[in-house]
Amino acid sequence: MIDEPDSPVREPRLKPYSPVRRDILKALGLNALALAGMMAGVAPRPGLAREPAAGGNVATAPVSDRTAEKQPFLGEHQAGVVTPRPACGMVASFDVLAQTPDELVRLFRTLTERTRFLMEGGTPPVRDPRFPPTDSGILGPVVIPDNLTVTVSVGSSLFDGRFGLGPFRPKYLERMTAFPNDALNADLCHGDLSIQLCANTADTTIHALRDIVKNLPDLLWLRWKQEGAVPVLPEVPDRPAESARNFLGFRDGSANPDANDTALMNRILWVQRGGEEPEWMAGGTYQAVRIIRNFVERWDRTPLREQERIFGRARDSGAPLDGGPGASEFDVPDFGRDPDGVHTPHDSHIRLANPRTPESETNLILRRPFNYSNGVTKSGQLDMGLLFICYQANLLNGFITVQRRLDGEPLEEYIKPVGGGYFFTLPGVRDENDFFARPLLAAAHLVPAAG
Amino acid sequence: MKKSLLSFAAATTLALGSLTLAAPSAPVLAQAAAAVSPLDLVAPVAEYKIYVTKATQQFVKDTKAFTDAVKAGDVEKAKALFAPTRVSYEQIEPIAELFSDLDAAIDSRADDHEKAEADPGFTGFHRIEYGLWEKNSTAELGPFADKLLADVEELHKRIAGLTFPPEKVVGGAAVLMEEVAATKISGEEDRYSHTDLWDFQGNFDGSRKIFDLFRPLLPKDDGEFVKKVEGNFNRVDVILAKYKEGNGFQSYEKLTDADRNVLAGAVNTLAEDLSTLRGKLGLD
Amino acid sequence: MVPVDAGAPRAVRRLRIAGLNKVIFIMASPQDNAGREKAAPPSSRLARLAVAGAVVLVIAGGAVFYLASRKTPQPAPDDAITVTITGKTCDPNELTVPAGRRTFRIVNNSDRTVEWEILDGVMVVEERENIAPGFSSTLTARLDTGTFQITCGLLSNPRGTLTVTPSADAGNAARPALTAFIGPLAEYRVYLALESGALTSATADLAAAVRDGDLARARALYVPARALYRHIEPAAQRFVDLDAAISARADYLEKREADPAFTGFHRLEYGLFAQGDLAGLTPVAERLLADVTTLEERLGALQLPPERMADGARTLLTRWAGSIASEGEERYSGTDIDSLAATLAGAGKVIGLLQPLVAKADPALATETQAKLDAAVARIDGLRGPQGYARLGDVGREDRAAIAASLQALADATGKLNASIGLE
Repeated sequence: MIDEPDSPVREPRLKPYSPVRRDILKALGLNALALAGMMAGVAPRPGLAREPAAGGNVATAPVSDRTAEKQPFLGEHQAGVVTPRPACGMVASFDVLAQTPDELVRLFRTLTERTRFLMEGGTPPVRDPRFPPTDSGILGPVVIPDNLTVTVSVGSSLFDGRFGLGPFRPKYLERMTAFPNDALNADLCHGDLSIQLCANTADTTIHALRDIVKNLPDLLWLRWKQEGAVPVLPEVPDRPAESARNFLGFRDGSANPDANDTALMNRILWVQRGGEEPEWMAGGTYQAVRIIRNFVERWDRTPLREQERIFGRARDSGAPLDGGPGASEFDVPDFGRDPDGVHTPHDSHIRLANPRTPESETNLILRRPFNYSNGVTKSGQLDMGLLFICYQANLLNGFITVQRRLDGEPLEEYIKPVGGGYFFTLPGVRDENDFFARPLLAAAHLVPAAG
Repeated sequence: MKKSLLSFAAATTLALGSLTLAAPSAPVLAQAAAAVSPLDLVAPVAEYKIYVTKATQQFVKDTKAFTDAVKAGDVEKAKALFAPTRVSYEQIEPIAELFSDLDAAIDSRADDHEKAEADPGFTGFHRIEYGLWEKNSTAELGPFADKLLADVEELHKRIAGLTFPPEKVVGGAAVLMEEVAATKISGEEDRYSHTDLWDFQGNFDGSRKIFDLFRPLLPKDDGEFVKKVEGNFNRVDVILAKYKEGNGFQSYEKLTDADRNVLAGAVNTLAEDLSTLRGKLGLD
Repeated sequence: MVPVDAGAPRAVRRLRIAGLNKVIFIMASPQDNAGREKAAPPSSRLARLAVAGAVVLVIAGGAVFYLASRKTPQPAPDDAITVTITGKTCDPNELTVPAGRRTFRIVNNSDRTVEWEILDGVMVVEERENIAPGFSSTLTARLDTGTFQITCGLLSNPRGTLTVTPSADAGNAARPALTAFIGPLAEYRVYLALESGALTSATADLAAAVRDGDLARARALYVPARALYRHIEPAAQRFVDLDAAISARADYLEKREADPAFTGFHRLEYGLFAQGDLAGLTPVAERLLADVTTLEERLGALQLPPERMADGARTLLTRWAGSIASEGEERYSGTDIDSLAATLAGAGKVIGLLQPLVAKADPALATETQAKLDAAVARIDGLRGPQGYARLGDVGREDRAAIAASLQALADATGKLNASIGLE
């Protein structure tokens, strides 16, 4: 529920298509002509699928023309961090069961292999039907990529005495400790390894999780998982893409740092070589995950003005409270002109999260949240909230500092963080011979250094 | 006879060949159904029936002693007999659970019932466990003890008359591990007494028995599989041995997270690997 | 190797037992062999018995004719392989056939009633018994690749060879899913293990009583031990050597009760009930104990083909149907009804194990078989009094005929089971 570690990039995103779309088209091997044709036509809505054409049965599957979308697996950084957030996401946290360095290597090699297949898609091996099938089959006989990203991160506990990784622990990676408003449930916290799965549809993330669980039963044990989704919006011509709303009805993600700004990302997001961190971390980033329950019934019984003052934004437009008529979420609040908090209260969420001072520039984080809805609590209330995920090059300066500023905010009456953890997202897999965590394992001499 | 069995297997392989041709684009795993004659399965299935029969006889005997203690109001003795009595049942669970009415009556847990501990349908071992540990008393347990003994005797009778379905026998090795993985590793099975490690031992023994009985039928080139499965059983043995106490085990609460993780990994991997046993032996 | 029909001519059984002796010869000690060679002529007492036996044979011969006339001979299919048995040999005596279902037409041109068997070592693969002189019989067997021996007339005749070559139509592919039989076969294996284990210990008790010279106890222990053998006989009869040693009757031995090959249960029965004398029985009892122990081991390793279950039961029921109406099978003790009840229990076990499969394939046959079984059991139960089953001698001719009919009806129904579940 952290908002507003604002990007210094101010201009509205009025580009006719996102660079990501371009990447997708490239990945699909479409030429310029096709691209032009596609842009001229009705662009597919992001995320969810349409109902099938007329004549379908009630139970006919919804259709989508985005199932072939795929994100590149190889690269300096892992996919799923600056990749535009698709409709569905999940974080799964595991205990690593490997007992020996060799098993740890096998874990990362297998994870690499599975990720490569899952993000690329294809036909799983067929087996004699008297055996359990190799694939769950929930996506059909051919696994579609469906824009899947699999992002692998490691927790501080992996750097305990088991594998001799202690000396190579990321400097700021620690076991998440409770903030004052937290009510952490041990069953929903921490882990040796986290996997963030994002895709156009929830089925694709579930398929990927099941594949990983099935292929690594002796090396990974699931601790917890949380799925989420973001609402799909209509595309409005000539208007910048809007941020999705959370379950409190407010836009979440307004003024996220621009992931297309490489220089900015290298400063706030990606760990750089030659800094204070171990070399192996270059190209990775810190991941903070928080499962934040929202008390939505109570929120819905709160006057709108109070809601807006708690957030510091107008609910419907997302505009800052000091914005005039017609202001949007892309307008930037000027707290300097509101020293007494007349428009935007000092304890409002956005003002605490990002006071927009020169100092707070070092606290920028890249948010990637999803909304979750799990069922009903024992009190008969809806168990729903925010699967908060953010990335930063320095966990202390990033999430931890921002959250400390938020401690005691009025919003706390409506939210309750119950789980999550801190992880370090491994550098990308660079080529066919590389695999997850290879730089770390090489640094610890568990595998030979890459040639 | 041998030769004809081989040709039978060859015919099976042929049929599978045409089956895989139906999906030409998919990579085909070399792992086809094993060249095992169904008739080769007769002896181990029979051996398994004898194993189950002996375990059931033991179970009846132990249950009698346990329920006698309950009825005599001897809380301490009943507590001491609770876990060891259950071991035989846990060993033969793949067969015992074929009789779902008895399984529910003998071994269901409070959360299997709408009103939990207060539910009149909550009977059997865990109902008595609840009384012994939560209430530290045998009061009102008499009828449950009578019913338990009657149910166990009925189970014995039904097992004696049962022709064991081979796929249930072979599949039982994995089923036992699935049981542990799904509902026992959490310690929710014996939640009042925390005697879960006894149950584990029974489940592992039962699973390993099946594996050992059918292992000689596995293809000669399946050594890696055998080694892996045995390795995981051995891992489990090592962990369980750490918690041995007298003739039994320490409380499940004593299990460290690290050891539980080793157990969990071994159990899940055994479940995954043993799930291929039926296919390897050519059983649907 | 329990005699099929009371009326089977002596020569046939002699042949058969003599053939078995060849096997036994290998396994038996030199003394046994020497003893056989030096067998004394029958005593006058035995001669009297032989006369009585001849009278019985006349009656039994009628029964055979009766049974034979009831069976309409099945015409042999066109592709049947004809084997002609003459006094000295079989023509042909060397056969080569492709694997699969093969039908043989056996023509008996000799002057003795004969049987024709396909043997795999000591195991009977298929047999056709009681082929009367001048008659022919057909036999259909599912043959697997391999080399087999065939018995061919008299012992002095050389055994023939049957070579089964691999073939495309071996029929294995068309065989029903064998997995369906794993359960029943395993259950039967358990039954055989338990019953043969019980047989070994019951025989040990019996041997102990004989050794102790306790005639009354030995008599009392004979019946339950014999019953246990009857339970497992559908499978045990496959071992021709052991079956002969354990259960052969004197009728079929050259020197009858005086024949050194007269061993096993009937030899004990003869001593315990006919002679009322334990003299010389200790080695017989110990030999029997050794044989049933071997049998237990062999059954433990036996991989019974599924069709053997019903086949074995049917064979025994048919034999009883023939013998019960005449002199019976436990002639010294008169405990035939006890013995028959045990056979029915053993056959009932087999039928019960196959019933779930039959009920799916041919519900009417399942019902019919069960009804016939129940009827046969009911008839036997009717002969049970406070002292146990009646002695055969106390059962009237009409009752015996009715029992024979009920057994034949059950045998006929049992004979259809295999075909109904795709095992023929």
